[in-house]
Amino acid sequence: MPRVWGKAKRRVTRFWNGLREWCGDSAYENYRKSAMRRGQKSVLSPAEFYVEQLNKKYSQPNRCC
Amino acid sequence: MKRILQIVIWASLAVVAATALATIALHRGEPISATWFVLAAVCSYLVAYRLYSAFIAAKLLVLDNTRATPSERRDDGRDFVPTNKWVLFGHHFAAIAGPGPLVGPTLAAQFGYLPGTLWLIAGAAFAGCVQDFVILFCSIRRDGKTLGEMARVEVSRRGGFIAQLAVLSIMVILLGVVALVIVNALKSSPWATFTLSATIPVALLLGVYLRYLRPGRVLEASLMGVVLVLFAVVAGQWVADSAWWSRVFTLSGLALTIAIIVYGFAASALPVWLLLAPRDYLSAFIKAGAIFSLAAGILFVRPHILMPPLTRFVDGNGPVFAGRIFPFCFITIACGAISGFHSLISSGTTPKMIQRESHARFIGYGAMLLESFVGVMAMVAACAMTPGVYFAINSPAQIVGAAPEAAAQTISNWGYPLSAATMAGLAHSVGEQTLWNRAGGAPSLAVGMAQIFSTTVGGERLLSIWYHFAIMFEALFILTVLDAGTRVGRFMIQELLGRVWKPIGRLNWYPAILLSSAMIVGAWGYFLYQGVVDPLGGINSLWPLFGISNQLLAAVALVVATTILLKMGRLKWISVTLLPMAWLVVITMTASYQKIFSANPRIGFLSFADALAAQIAAGQIPAAKIAETQRVIFNQRLDAVVTGVLAVMILVLLGEAIVQWHAILSRGKEPVLHETPYVATQWAEGD
Repeated sequence: MPRVWGKAKRRVTRFWNGLREWCGDSAYENYRKSAMRRGQKSVLSPAEFYVEQLNKKYSQPNRCC
Repeated sequence: MKRILQIVIWASLAVVAATALATIALHRGEPISATWFVLAAVCSYLVAYRLYSAFIAAKLLVLDNTRATPSERRDDGRDFVPTNKWVLFGHHFAAIAGPGPLVGPTLAAQFGYLPGTLWLIAGAAFAGCVQDFVILFCSIRRDGKTLGEMARVEVSRRGGFIAQLAVLSIMVILLGVVALVIVNALKSSPWATFTLSATIPVALLLGVYLRYLRPGRVLEASLMGVVLVLFAVVAGQWVADSAWWSRVFTLSGLALTIAIIVYGFAASALPVWLLLAPRDYLSAFIKAGAIFSLAAGILFVRPHILMPPLTRFVDGNGPVFAGRIFPFCFITIACGAISGFHSLISSGTTPKMIQRESHARFIGYGAMLLESFVGVMAMVAACAMTPGVYFAINSPAQIVGAAPEAAAQTISNWGYPLSAATMAGLAHSVGEQTLWNRAGGAPSLAVGMAQIFSTTVGGERLLSIWYHFAIMFEALFILTVLDAGTRVGRFMIQELLGRVWKPIGRLNWYPAILLSSAMIVGAWGYFLYQGVVDPLGGINSLWPLFGISNQLLAAVALVVATTILLKMGRLKWISVTLLPMAWLVVITMTASYQKIFSANPRIGFLSFADALAAQIAAGQIPAAKIAETQRVIFNQRLDAVVTGVLAVMILVLLGEAIVQWHAILSRGKEPVLHETPYVATQWAEGD
């Protein structure tokens, strides 16, 4: 039983993380991690990063007919 | 043993697919169950994915997982972000799935269920998925370059310019025609107009929340927004029931045209975080929910298909749009079978986020299969309603007559029995004043969806709520295409004009923003206006124009793909891209020729203009209507010119490409491939 529970919990967690990544909730966390990995000193604030991402996303075709 | 079992399983799936396809193709007489459509589509997709896409990956593209993708080499956490393949599949699917796979099959149902269904399944497997997959691969190998950039570098400078121009043209026509679909869905419908209007303040609220209160917390904000939008669907009934509010939200076609043009301008000129992005989030969640609910509803209800496999309108005299199955079925259903617009997504953000080359098969080929399935579901929803009702909703008054009794008689005379009382009862049960003459696909699809949903949950009692939910779902993501497309169009215009006068190209200079927004909105707004005043309902002229431009862009993408593959020395399997390209060139050229020169005034732009001019000359048009008729004549001639220019563009690009191909094949010129140099991946196999 605990094994089944553990497996189910892992799957739910994976789904939840995937959903957060799909809708963009975890984008800032990923950006911070990437910046730290590359030793970048100045990072954008969550609001600055959010606006910058949107401006980039909606400057090229990103929604089809 | 395992291998034998696999062979048995795949062979069985192929047999089921063939049986289901044969059943829907050969069935005559009694209505057929929608289960056959689901079986035919799903089994065909599985076999196509397992065999054809694997063949393309292994033999044509030779995908290489030892090669680092752009997201690994250039990982910056902003543009280039390594992304899990399931998440990226979701991103890619959300980007490619728009209103096209819902509206196109609904309109093409006038030929009967068979031509459209076969084209959706075969077109996706052999053309649409191939285009998306190959262009994604080409872009990955070029650091995420766009289709226009690849055309310029791999074909010719002129090719790049044509691709850019084709993108701008398709954008303008697409936005005009999808806006027309909304106008026809909301016209004289206070409930639907209120619900859609309510999404604007909801989006503004979310915009402020996401920008200032909880930056980037999309999930929680979207959930709040979805609840508010669903509440607006219910509240719409109170608006429709109130005499005063109902008057406020009952708008004519022209009033809605002005409102949508103003909205498009605002969405383009305002900061993106305020209106456009939050509406997109709302739309993405509701779109995903509605599509999965429709699939589940069809599987649960298993409705019977009441439309015959082929209707009498295969002769080209259809009331929804005129023209024979060939070529018009193949340009009416673009998205769902093959859509050139997808090549822009496949060469946009997706190649910058893909982790491994092998994921391109799942994301490029797989996501398009899913979109095709959405198209098949739309076909099922449209064909599950009584054919008489379908034609009543989708035929313009000029064809069937304005009075309900006369219109019902006309449709009954076609062999699809219908009474005016049936339409009045249906309109009443979905909470509308009328459902006559609502061409555009959205209302008939909403009726089909509402019937399926209400059979699953709520019964007759909830039919009106489900109908308005379906209208809101369609209109919401059409508006998302509209505002996102307007903004991209604005950038394109700024880039083009910026070459002439630099300040116009500055993205943060407000006079340039306002001018370019006005230009792009003015361009698609003009097509919308001409659709609204068109005596044949607009869809008859504009949807084929949109289909031609979209398929033209697909031909451009496949020309670029074929050129790159020839440069890679993949001549042996070049038919994989060459055949769909040739097919697209043939259908777009034939459709363009017929739309310009056909002697049938319902098909040919010029003959319709000439017929109207002759009526004016013969004094058959009342004096009060002469100016309006002259505008229609001008519009028809303008559409003929636009169609001609689109056709010439593809011929020029094709000519450029053929010169290149000849040089490569005759070894007159050493092919130069502009791929990013090979860098070995640092990631372990399981990463």
